[in-house]
Amino acid sequence: MPDILLTLSEVFMRTYEGFLKAALVTLKITAIAIVLGTVFGIVFALMKISRSKILQTIANLYITLIRGTPLIVQIMFLYYGITSIVVLSNFWAGAIALGVHNGAYIAEVFRGAIQGVDRGQREASLALGMNRSQAMRRIIFPQALRRAIPPLGNQFIITLKDSSLVYVIGVTELFGLANREAASSFLPFETFLVVGMYYLVLVLIFTGLLKLYENKLNVDKS
Amino acid sequence: MIKTMNLHKSFGDLEVLKGIDIDINPGEVVVLVGVSGSGKSTLLRCLNFLEKAQEGDILIDGRKVDRKKEDLSKVRAEVGMVFQHFNLFPHKTVLENIMEAPLIVKKEDKEKAKKLSLALLGKVGLSDKADVYPNKLSGGQKQRVAIARALAMEPKALLFDEPTSALDPELVGEVLQVMQDLANDGMTMVVVTHEMKFAKEVADRIIMLDEGRIIEDADPETFFNHSTNERTRQFLEMVNV
Ligand SMILES: Nc1ncnc2c1ncn2[C@@H]1O[C@H](COP(=O)(O)OP(=O)(O)OP(=O)(O)O)[C@@H](O)[C@H]1O
Ligand SMILES: [Mg+2]
Repeated sequence: MPDILLTLSEVFMRTYEGFLKAALVTLKITAIAIVLGTVFGIVFALMKISRSKILQTIANLYITLIRGTPLIVQIMFLYYGITSIVVLSNFWAGAIALGVHNGAYIAEVFRGAIQGVDRGQREASLALGMNRSQAMRRIIFPQALRRAIPPLGNQFIITLKDSSLVYVIGVTELFGLANREAASSFLPFETFLVVGMYYLVLVLIFTGLLKLYENKLNVDKS
Repeated sequence: MIKTMNLHKSFGDLEVLKGIDIDINPGEVVVLVGVSGSGKSTLLRCLNFLEKAQEGDILIDGRKVDRKKEDLSKVRAEVGMVFQHFNLFPHKTVLENIMEAPLIVKKEDKEKAKKLSLALLGKVGLSDKADVYPNKLSGGQKQRVAIARALAMEPKALLFDEPTSALDPELVGEVLQVMQDLANDGMTMVVVTHEMKFAKEVADRIIMLDEGRIIEDADPETFFNHSTNERTRQFLEMVNV
């Protein structure tokens, strides 16, 4: 066996226990960020398409700020911001920061999906006597959700990968651990190759699950 | 039943309705005709407040509707609408499409709403389609479901905006038949259509719009055979009857 493969398998065997635990942390942070981001996303999307100028302005401000600054800055900012007010673990600070960040992108996904639903759907709902919020909840949003699923899936995969950035506030997820391993073992190349594979496997699993879900939706509809 | 007084509607600088006065009696079938762009759809949409007229009054059942202050969804629930492109809810079955408004708007209980919806589905001849999704229906079937859906709110009047224009010719008849049955049952209807045969046979009155004004309001016999209005005669020649 060539040397590189030998070292790689050595690194792998020595680190897999730690990396599996760290992968769990990565998944947890990602899951929390996705849930938070989706909630924020829906709320801000509805604000953005609302008739209230104030709500629109707040939503636009949020989206502009988040999309106009680097995630790593937002993580640091929120970490020091939040922990100066309440006691919060760096895990939760990181998850919240990632959630807030994603909310801005998910808001745009939902806004597009809602506005993409045929106008006739809203008119038919109103003509039947529904008010605006009934039309949104019962008729428009369920259709928008279907349209939103492929771009949401993309965003979730980005979230998974972006979660690596919370290492800067000291969370031991995959990348954080890899950083330490690389330094202590003096094998940075091999270590980062291994951690890259963990991410790749997670992303492939995510993608597969999303495909399954999309197919299920398509089958239901017909 | 529905009365408008001096109704004006503009989109920006474009004045589309220039003072419309109509008075539709209970049980009457009024067919609205006019060339493209004359304001037929806009007038219809003003009648159930999908568009808000800037000036003039609308009375439903003798009661003046205050466009600024009232909850318009209550008014809309009383005047149903059938659209050219059906606008069925694609994520709901046929039965769910029809039950939706009674359940959500009227808060009827489920069993009662279901019974009513199935009865209406029978009325439009589609009892066997209750559990399919709209994308499995032909255009004619979709429009019949849309009519049943509008009827489920037990409206005082029904508005139709070119209900057969998006249909293949062989499917037009089944929809017109359902509309004719409704007319015979005494439903108050305002219908925008290019089906002149329907207008001749079913309408009590024909109203012709031209550039946002009513230029003719007559019974079918007078309209088709004795009109003295130049624009009406041109129109009739164009649709060749
Ligand atoms: N939402 C809108 N915004 C701006 N202009 C509009 C709008 N809706 C209608 N118009 C304009 O108002 C005029 C009348 O339109 P309307 O749809 O009422 O005509 P119509 O008689 O129904 O025509 P058609 O037979 O083509 O359906 C047209 O010039 C149209 O372009
Ligand atoms: Mg029209």
